Amino acid sequence: MIETRLGEFEEVILLIVGILGEEAYAFKIAEEFESQTSREVSIGAVHSTLTRLEEKGFVKSDMGKATAERGGRRKRIYTITAYGQQALSAARDFRMSLWSQYPAFANKLNFGGSM
Amino acid sequence: MSNRSNHIPPRLAQRILLGFLREDIAEEVLGDLDEKFYARLKAGSVYRAKLNYYYQVLHYFRPFAIRKSLSTHSNFADMFESYFRIAWRNMFKHKTYSSIKIGGFALGIAACLLISLFIRDELSYDQHIPDKDRIYRVVQVYNDNGEIKKGVAWPAPFATAIKQDYPEIERVGRLNPSELFGAGSNQIRRVDVLENTYEEGFTYADQQMLDMLKVPMVYGERKNALAQPNTIALSKSKADKFFPGENPVGKVMILNNDEKNPFTVGGVFEDFPANSHLTYDFLITMTSREFWPGEQTYWGASNYPTYIVVRPDTDARQLEKKLLSILTNYYLPLLKKEGAPNPEELLKKASFSLQPITDIHLKSDKIQDRLNHGDIRFVWIFGAVAAFILIIACINFINLSTAKSANRAKEVGIRKVVGSFRSSLVKQFLTESMLFSFLSFAIGILLAVLLLPYFNTLSAKSLSLPWMEWWLFPILIGAAVVIGIIAGLYPAFYLSAFKPIDVLKGKLSRGSKSSNTRSLLVIFQFTTSIVLIIGTFIIYRQMNYIMNKKIGFDKDQVVLLQGVHTLGEKVQTLKTELLRLPEVKHVSVSDYLPIKGTKRNGNGFHRESGPNADQEVSAQFWQVDQDYLQTMGITLIEGRNFSAQMATDSQAVIINQAMVKKMGFKNPTQERIKNWETWQIIGVIEDFHFESMRDSIQPMVLALGNSPSVVSVKVKTTDMAGALQAVQKVWKEVAPYQPIRYTFLDESFAKMYEDVQRAGRVFSSFAILAIIVACLGLYGLSSFMVEQRSKEIGIRLVLGASIQNIFSLLTINFVKLVLISFAIAVPIAWYMMNKWLEDFVYRTPVSASIFVFAGLTALLIALFTISYQAIRAALVNPVKNLRSE
Repeated sequence: MIETRLGEFEEVILLIVGILGEEAYAFKIAEEFESQTSREVSIGAVHSTLTRLEEKGFVKSDMGKATAERGGRRKRIYTITAYGQQALSAARDFRMSLWSQYPAFANKLNFGGSM
Repeated sequence: MSNRSNHIPPRLAQRILLGFLREDIAEEVLGDLDEKFYARLKAGSVYRAKLNYYYQVLHYFRPFAIRKSLSTHSNFADMFESYFRIAWRNMFKHKTYSSIKIGGFALGIAACLLISLFIRDELSYDQHIPDKDRIYRVVQVYNDNGEIKKGVAWPAPFATAIKQDYPEIERVGRLNPSELFGAGSNQIRRVDVLENTYEEGFTYADQQMLDMLKVPMVYGERKNALAQPNTIALSKSKADKFFPGENPVGKVMILNNDEKNPFTVGGVFEDFPANSHLTYDFLITMTSREFWPGEQTYWGASNYPTYIVVRPDTDARQLEKKLLSILTNYYLPLLKKEGAPNPEELLKKASFSLQPITDIHLKSDKIQDRLNHGDIRFVWIFGAVAAFILIIACINFINLSTAKSANRAKEVGIRKVVGSFRSSLVKQFLTESMLFSFLSFAIGILLAVLLLPYFNTLSAKSLSLPWMEWWLFPILIGAAVVIGIIAGLYPAFYLSAFKPIDVLKGKLSRGSKSSNTRSLLVIFQFTTSIVLIIGTFIIYRQMNYIMNKKIGFDKDQVVLLQGVHTLGEKVQTLKTELLRLPEVKHVSVSDYLPIKGTKRNGNGFHRESGPNADQEVSAQFWQVDQDYLQTMGITLIEGRNFSAQMATDSQAVIINQAMVKKMGFKNPTQERIKNWETWQIIGVIEDFHFESMRDSIQPMVLALGNSPSVVSVKVKTTDMAGALQAVQKVWKEVAPYQPIRYTFLDESFAKMYEDVQRAGRVFSSFAILAIIVACLGLYGLSSFMVEQRSKEIGIRLVLGASIQNIFSLLTINFVKLVLISFAIAVPIAWYMMNKWLEDFVYRTPVSASIFVFAGLTALLIALFTISYQAIRAALVNPVKNLRSE
């Protein structure tokens, strides 16, 4: 039985996959992660997470185009599946509900309508 | 972009990556890493880019990215699981085959385990003593015209003398375990208790013995437990018996009702372990003890086994040579004073030997010390037999596996055709062999546990499996692995070497190549079995011979009342009262018995005059009463018995034929002999065996005298129970405070040959075991042979062969093998059994009939084993066999 919960790092990677769209392959995702979070990450770690996300059915992958920078090698492009979308929104909803219950921030921030 | 072509990702890192990376993701990963590399290159130094490449490579070392064949753990387990499953299925597919294989092996392992326990126990004797490599027993060696005699008893002052004269000797200690002086067994009680208790295991000992052996103490101090006169030290178990829950130090005990000489308990020592040659429970001090006036300084009587501790780095062999000066310094003056002829010559025959204390149990074969010894030869024989049984069991294993080759060959062929490597086949067979080995070990251990009580009776020991020892399981598991590999190696390589084409063509269906090897192994098994059978027969023959040989006295219907000396003067009352009983024929008071290990008294005698008067003849000198000869049923062949009416008989002796011969008397009843006194010979008795039949009958001199610890009662009725009751009644009246203790002469006699009987039982048990294991193998082999030849048999039957034809066809080969084994076994057994019989002066002849009988037994058992399969094959409906294809 494959676990279907979404871990925190997985959630971020999944979001980045969605953000990058056509360009979502391991190297680019790692770069994007580093630039967005200023935290270093290895391509291997990202690749490993992507594989896991694929096993859980949140993303699917296809081989993309080859470019010169890659020594003529193809890249594997990841795209979010509908199930992945669901998991993301469920994760967001869960987080919202937690935020709203936190007294220090409740009613001070309004996440509600914008999204 | 110019430096892009100049700099490429580090080759080594790439190679490392490709070494473990899953092939199907290699392209994308290498691409990503290249992109990263060139991006880093643009941003910074080449060095940093390369370093980062390595960093990325290392971070690909993750489960998802690693090639499956490399993830050794899961892969190996998978493979092993599959091998194991196949092995397990195979085992249940061929139940008979598997149970024979496992059963035979398990028997071998059980036997081996038990014997290892025995050997371990034998080798452990006295190993617990601290400083054991510096402690020796001093042995005297005497070369009596080529016959080497060894003894351990020394004169009382010997210990002090060697301690004084040789600085190498750190400590000296003496024992005196002789019954002549009241050691051995005694009646003992607390001073405040009336009832005597009979106890064995008494010895006199020097305080030094406790010190040198570092005997652990429970109560009292080791350094002075025996230092005071008239003290006694008790073992813990005896202290608990007489003084339960008390510290007995300082308490008083009475020996043999002698209230004038009480003993004070000086200490309680931990019981000597079962694996010690010292078996004493009561140590009586030798401090200021003198058994007769001047005894402690007299060099002419040897009664003390003497132990020494040498200083570190002392060469025992050199010390042995140095000790010779003792002879000239102390013995020579004595011999001269006592007027011994040619004393210098006499002393040249004597020498010293220092026996390590740890050798006493196993290597005292020719030493007269009256201890119950093990025998190093038995250890070797046991070990050899265990090894043989294990080898036989291993052979079965190999034999059965190769015999199976016909059936497995096809499997091997097909596996090879579909692409199995040879290595994986070898692994498969080794796994099977291991599975069998481990199961056999498990069953073997279980068997050993179940058989242990029986084996303990057999070996007269109380062995147990050392479950608690840390090394037991690692050793057993290690042995299981090693034997599994050894036993599986041959079949594994033999079977895996088959060429698939040959096999599938059916060329190897007979497995005939291995039949020579297999025959050799069968011959080996049966040779061993036949040797063991012959050995068993001969041991039993010898046993029978001893038990039924004319021994020169009548051992039947003699009751021995023990511990009578405590009665004092009342012994004579007891004798008279007993004689009044109608059931009693004769009564004799004398504790000298024709049983090895009982009281003995060696003396040197000369002729009073005439030729060779200066030649000393050593003889047993026994004090008996007038009724001794009748009670024991000893035949007087010349002269007369002692008589109460003749006062001169106090200086008269009766001698045996051996003495007559040794002295060279023509008319013995006219002669006189002397030791310290002169004795008139009044009669000659027929030689009787008063020692074991291992020894020839030695000269003997009987004189009238007082030695009252045993009363022998010859009973004339067959109602032994009734007679005993009557005797008990008399005893109660004479000795109300002492429980009666009796034994039977014939039982004591049989006990002398307990070791022979034990050897017989051990041998026969192992012979049976070896035969069973060998037959299991034979049974397995014959069943496969029948299976392989089933078509041939079917065709023969259809063409009109008779059942007898088929039977002999199938058995003749095995019969040949057994006959060859027999031919090999005969000389081996003949040699070995003659060696064993050499130990006996009186022995049964080794006749050809024993060999023939043993051979026939083996042949019959083998035939019986095979015939089940042979007859089944001959009786089967041939159509059934022929229809299969």
